[in-house]
Amino acid sequence: MTARSTGFMGSNDSATPERTEAAHGPAARRAASTRRVVPGFGLTLGYTMLYLSLIVLIPLSATFIRSLGAGWGHFWAVVTAVRVVASLRLSFGAALLAAAVNAAFGLVIAWVLVRYTFPFKRLIDAMVDLPFALPTAVAGIALTALYAPNGWLGGLLTPLGIQVAFTPLGVVVALIFIGLPFVVRTLQPVLEELDKDVEQAAATLGASEWQTFSRVILPALWPALLTGFALAFARAVGEYGSVIFIAGNMPMKSEIAPLLIITKLEQYDYAGATAIAVVMLVLSFALMLGINALQSWTLTRNGGA
Amino acid sequence: MEAPAIAAGCDVSAGRRLRKRGPRPGVRWGRFLLIATALAFLAAFLLLPLLVVFAQALSKGAGVYLSAVSDPMAWAAIKLTLMVAAIAVPMNLVFGVVSAWAITKFQFRGKSTLITLIDLPFAVSPVIAGLTYILLFGAHGWFGAYLQEHDIRIVFAVPGIVLATLFVTFPFVARELIPVMQAQGKDDEETALSLGAGGWQVFWHVTLPNIRWALLYGVLLCNARAMGEFGAVSVVSGHIRGLTNTMPLHVEILYNEYNYAAAFAVASLLALLALLTLAGKSLLEWRQPELRHAVHLARVSPGKQA
Amino acid sequence: MSITLRGVSKQFGAFAAIDDVDLEIPTGALLALLGPSGCGKTTVLRIIAGLETPDTGQVLFDGRDATLWPIRERKVGFVFQNYALFRHMSVFENVAFGLKVKARRERPAAGAIRDKVQSLLELVQLDWAGDRYPTQLSGGQKQRVALARALAVDPEVLLLDEPFGALDAQVRHELRRWLRRLHTELKFTSIFVTHDQQEAIEVADTIVVLNRGRVEQTGVPGDVYDLPRSAYVHRFLGQVNELRVKWHDGRAHLGPIDITGDPALDAYGSDRIALVRPHEIDIGSASNGWPAIVRDVRVIGPIVRLELCADGQPANEPLEAEISRERFDMDRFHIGQRVGVRFRRWQVYPAAALGSARASRA
Repeated sequence: MTARSTGFMGSNDSATPERTEAAHGPAARRAASTRRVVPGFGLTLGYTMLYLSLIVLIPLSATFIRSLGAGWGHFWAVVTAVRVVASLRLSFGAALLAAAVNAAFGLVIAWVLVRYTFPFKRLIDAMVDLPFALPTAVAGIALTALYAPNGWLGGLLTPLGIQVAFTPLGVVVALIFIGLPFVVRTLQPVLEELDKDVEQAAATLGASEWQTFSRVILPALWPALLTGFALAFARAVGEYGSVIFIAGNMPMKSEIAPLLIITKLEQYDYAGATAIAVVMLVLSFALMLGINALQSWTLTRNGGA
Repeated sequence: MEAPAIAAGCDVSAGRRLRKRGPRPGVRWGRFLLIATALAFLAAFLLLPLLVVFAQALSKGAGVYLSAVSDPMAWAAIKLTLMVAAIAVPMNLVFGVVSAWAITKFQFRGKSTLITLIDLPFAVSPVIAGLTYILLFGAHGWFGAYLQEHDIRIVFAVPGIVLATLFVTFPFVARELIPVMQAQGKDDEETALSLGAGGWQVFWHVTLPNIRWALLYGVLLCNARAMGEFGAVSVVSGHIRGLTNTMPLHVEILYNEYNYAAAFAVASLLALLALLTLAGKSLLEWRQPELRHAVHLARVSPGKQA
Repeated sequence: MSITLRGVSKQFGAFAAIDDVDLEIPTGALLALLGPSGCGKTTVLRIIAGLETPDTGQVLFDGRDATLWPIRERKVGFVFQNYALFRHMSVFENVAFGLKVKARRERPAAGAIRDKVQSLLELVQLDWAGDRYPTQLSGGQKQRVALARALAVDPEVLLLDEPFGALDAQVRHELRRWLRRLHTELKFTSIFVTHDQQEAIEVADTIVVLNRGRVEQTGVPGDVYDLPRSAYVHRFLGQVNELRVKWHDGRAHLGPIDITGDPALDAYGSDRIALVRPHEIDIGSASNGWPAIVRDVRVIGPIVRLELCADGQPANEPLEAEISRERFDMDRFHIGQRVGVRFRRWQVYPAAALGSARASRA
């Protein structure tokens, strides 16, 4: 059944009845109801699908197919090899830790940027996106120079017995750098849109500053915080350029999974490289789905007045 | 109907005191602490790395800096980087516009799946991105034999670099355009159509002006990533100096040769690019504030589809 | 708890929201702060609550200087215009919030909290809604939850900021009646802000009329309506007809009606305007009073509104009169009929006062 437009431009859905009453019969009506007013649907959708397939889908599927090329048994053997497991553990573990640090500090930073004023705030706010804009290789060598034993920060930490460069700690530091904007930028809009009345209501009911924060504000921020955490984590897991210089790259100790993939590739061990890649992809995709679910949850929970 | 004893009106009262008050001392200290923590963290993680790049680049003096930057290999790298960006960014620009049009102007099943698929490259490690193209076009890839026969080089040559860059920068333009076009709806386009404009005219004269800032924003980010991409290009390029080295790869080579000053010199150019990108970003966000919050969300919420 | 404001002023940037306001509110009062948007009424309320700090002046609670007291020490209940319920908490948890955040020594036991919340929910007739979330409630229900929440901490003063503004007429009517009853039962001091003079008259025991940050008049609803002290108040509190006072041979007239004896006419030749309420107009036969033609008749429930075009008045400024239904049924005025208009009451003001007091009415 076609919906009646409320005017020539009125309707929000794509169905538009013919203006002349030439709705002869159900077939014509059905045809009319699926016709779209704005042109270009077939063309644009077709191009989109084509481009998407060529650039993204087909190459990715090649990875999956090749990974099983040598059989499921081989796949499993590769994936459970000690060195591979160690590299996955480092990549995912460091990413988790870095994302957690980013969540905590990102909250502080977002809070400070939204709620307080101080000199150069606008500049600092713009700078938060630096990790997003800076090429990863540049970040990598910069962080290494900074945390090497003779670097500006490394020089301060080494006497204290803390080695950052060429250790797993360096990996974490690099991943913190990479993931920072994700948490801050996800939190900022939510913080900005917090209802001030609600905070004042809590105050009139006798809540202290801390109680207002922990009972009223933080619950409203959880979804965004988790989303930011997940985004930072997803980005950090696959990170290569910023990490490769500071990591040390010693197998079993400070070798990240992407490096292992490259190593296997250089040895023409395609099955091995793709196996690791598939594991990373599956885990990352699961993450993305989780993020999307989180975002839907955010909206349903905080929707409405 | 006696009014009860309630004083009223504008009374000139004694005891006028002008008082300026802010938050109580306890709150003020807490505030200071939070700001200090935030700034310290940002200084350590953002500012210092940036400064180190320039400090190291100039550590051996301006002469070394300039020679590093004008070295023929460096120049080749710069030219390659620019060329790759000049190819990849427009291609993804077209894709971004086309896909945003398809997604925001029409209703169809599977729309949210499509959006998720467009976002896919964000979830893929750049190394894996490079890997996938090796699997397709490498010597042992699906098309490897065919390419060798016809002497077409994709991986370990410029086309491969372009493809890898396309992959990693794939979603940038689309992700900026989709929320903005979603919010703008179809009204303007439908109005233009009703006035007799053809499809192309509608796009050119109505849609494009509406989205120009978002478009510019997406292009800016896409370009920054395209020029700075390292992992994917590293896998695909073969590291052939002078031929298949982009700037980030050149930085790596110099660094691995312990030629730190030169490495940082080239890196400083990329850092300058990053700063320019940030400046452009801020400018555009000031122009169109809605862009600020579109950037890092995983995707447009499914519930908001038109 | 009694509340006193002395010389309170507050500026936002260059805008003077309140200017030198004095108010005394005795314990147990039910007071309305009435005025159009921007007159400062919400600012006064928020200063009492501690949500704003005055630039000058004092706020006294029971005679003690509370001007600098932080919000949470004032024991005021505040009901916001848009309810400000905690979206992530259930109705029960919302109402219990004030009790749960008390310092450990003062906090009641969990069982006591539960009982109190239940009884409050019963009071506001939402005992069935304890497990619901704010998004599942209607506006009127949300407002009642907000009220219950504010009452949970036994405030000494209840402050309401345009509490019924966003609700349907029927719901508003019920809630107004209900607030009055609650006030009578629980006997707390209650101050609410409204721009609706109908609401102020219906609910409050005392009305404070504000204009541009200053108090224009304070009094019981009847007095503020019948004995307005300024043109602004007169106009704001109900409909008025404005008639220019004409001088002729040293005598003042409204139309043909001689009003020379009116004490407000102190200067010969000064610009004066008389304000007459619609129900203060008497309509009789054409020979008795100011001749006029009936232009429109509207039967509105218990009253009938007549639009009259009086002789000598411009056509686009008709007189609006209101008469009772009974009266109308007797006389059966119809459109086009010639009648005579007389004024039972009127009040004269300088024309300048009206010009500056062009307030928008609810």
